[in-house]
Amino acid sequence: MPILPRLRDPADRIYYTLVVAIGGALMIYFALVPVLGLNVAFHFYLMLWITMASAFNVSSGFSGYLPFGYVAFYGVGAFTTAILVKKAAFPVFLALPFSGVAGLVLALLFAPTLRLSGIYFGIVSLALAGICRLVITNMPEEITGGSFGLQLGSRAHPVQAFYVMMAVMVAALAVILWLSRSRLGKALRATRDDAEAAEMMGINVPRVRLYGWLVAAFFPALCGGVEAWYTNVVDTETAFNTLTTAKTVIYAVAGGLGTITGPIIGSVVMVWLDELIWRQFPLLNLLILGLATIALVLFLPRGIVGTILRRKPQWRRYVP
Amino acid sequence: MSAAIETRGLTKRFGGLVALDSVGLQAASGETLGIIGVNGAGKTTLMNCICGLYRPDGGDVFIAGERVTGQPPHVVAHKGIGRTFQVPRVFRKMSLIDNLLVPVLDRRASSDAELTERAEEMLARMQLIGLRHNYAEELSGGQQKLLEMARMLMPDPPIVMLDEPFAGVHPVLCKFMIERIEEMSGAGKAVLLISHDLTSIYRLSSRVVALNQGKIIAEGGVADIRGNPAVIEAYLGA
Ligand SMILES: Nc1ncnc2c1ncn2[C@@H]1O[C@H](COP(=O)(O)OP(=O)(O)O)[C@@H](O)[C@H]1O
Ligand SMILES: [Mg+2]
Repeated sequence: MPILPRLRDPADRIYYTLVVAIGGALMIYFALVPVLGLNVAFHFYLMLWITMASAFNVSSGFSGYLPFGYVAFYGVGAFTTAILVKKAAFPVFLALPFSGVAGLVLALLFAPTLRLSGIYFGIVSLALAGICRLVITNMPEEITGGSFGLQLGSRAHPVQAFYVMMAVMVAALAVILWLSRSRLGKALRATRDDAEAAEMMGINVPRVRLYGWLVAAFFPALCGGVEAWYTNVVDTETAFNTLTTAKTVIYAVAGGLGTITGPIIGSVVMVWLDELIWRQFPLLNLLILGLATIALVLFLPRGIVGTILRRKPQWRRYVP
Repeated sequence: MSAAIETRGLTKRFGGLVALDSVGLQAASGETLGIIGVNGAGKTTLMNCICGLYRPDGGDVFIAGERVTGQPPHVVAHKGIGRTFQVPRVFRKMSLIDNLLVPVLDRRASSDAELTERAEEMLARMQLIGLRHNYAEELSGGQQKLLEMARMLMPDPPIVMLDEPFAGVHPVLCKFMIERIEEMSGAGKAVLLISHDLTSIYRLSSRVVALNQGKIIAEGGVADIRGNPAVIEAYLGA
């Protein structure tokens, strides 16, 4: 079996050339950040948001779900790593995979809500995230550190954490790239467009939705774990902050749902804009970011990539 | 030999309304069974019960002699049944090629390239090949009906159900569709053809079932149905 599909279609050749070019450029750039002495923190969070927005795109852009409580996966992932490292003396590298597993377990617990659609799904998801936060807040202080949170102590290693975040991002993008062209991806999109019709065409809709949901849950949970390691502290206030969901949604939508480049470009533009605004107007930063978001939704409702592809439908086949 | 498709005593209620009242019918391979009836007679409900979208309140559905009543739609689909919809239900934000691939995604034995090739053949036959990379939502209503037919035929199902294929379709396109439907029965498929338009049904069907208020009021060859007083009254009285 060849690793790459036979590229009999010239459009496929352009597509994969773009994938390799964009992916390669991203990887080289990020890999060089600590080497060249660029701002590690800024780029760490850029990669985190690219991962979050891209994984969210699997839920929203591919599957048609809007999980308003998306932060739950991130928060549970953060606490899993923190508790395992702090209380069970796990090495960080051993704890991180458990964060991903915790995200999957949580996704399975939430799976019955996949029967809901539209705004109902969104609201229930938000409520469930609130419940997760309550559960962790009310766990014994010896485990979760209570309102002070958990300090990971001397485990901090920003550059290592940076490269692990990079690995998570690359893995997420690779999985999503595969998904978007796979049969599962087609089944997901068909289900998004018309679940009943898809089911009558032989698609096992509940199963397909579950698979998409697991992918969407796994990566934010890993992000939470890596971020806990990077910042060295975890508390319920920040781990379950609604702003995390909001930013994920905004970045993904800004770039355009449904394509792979959309959430990447959206995150790059918006994180950079956020940083710029924050430096210039530290006090008004959220207000200005909110206004920028409103402008974006008003003038580019399909996001940057979505709008371009709307204008140039013939490019759809070439753009990852 | 058992019929390709058969229903026995199929009943479906919506609240107090009896949409299907003990409907029994069958169609053999290579046969086109016309199902006629005025709006609201229960034709679409019959189709929805057969393909598993609705769970009937009574009665059974058999495919090639096997009882499939109450099975989820994707299981029934894999037993060899395909359908189109009265109002087209295409996958709007997917290309025509991808629309056609949906019913065959689980065919592990066929490679993506083989399936894509077959999809292109089907699109060519429906005269949609030039639009293969467009999104389905960019097609006209009539073209969407053709796309649905192509999608339905992708897995080569032995039974097909067409719900009002000619409704709101340009006469030239109707003629084209009629030829495609003749090919389906010619290829040995059992065709269930729903229409409230009698002319096309009479042309295509070997047998006709007339539904009214969920009940079968007449059944037989085209000649019998054409002169049947109950059918005439149902149509004129409506
Ligand atoms: N999902 C549903 N819920 C409630 N009533 C329905 C539903 N589907 C069909 N009906 C009713 O069942 C009857 C038969 O409808 P239908 O099968 O669509 O008729 P036809 O296709 O012959 O025009 C109608 O009275 C319709 O209002
Ligand atoms: Mg109908």
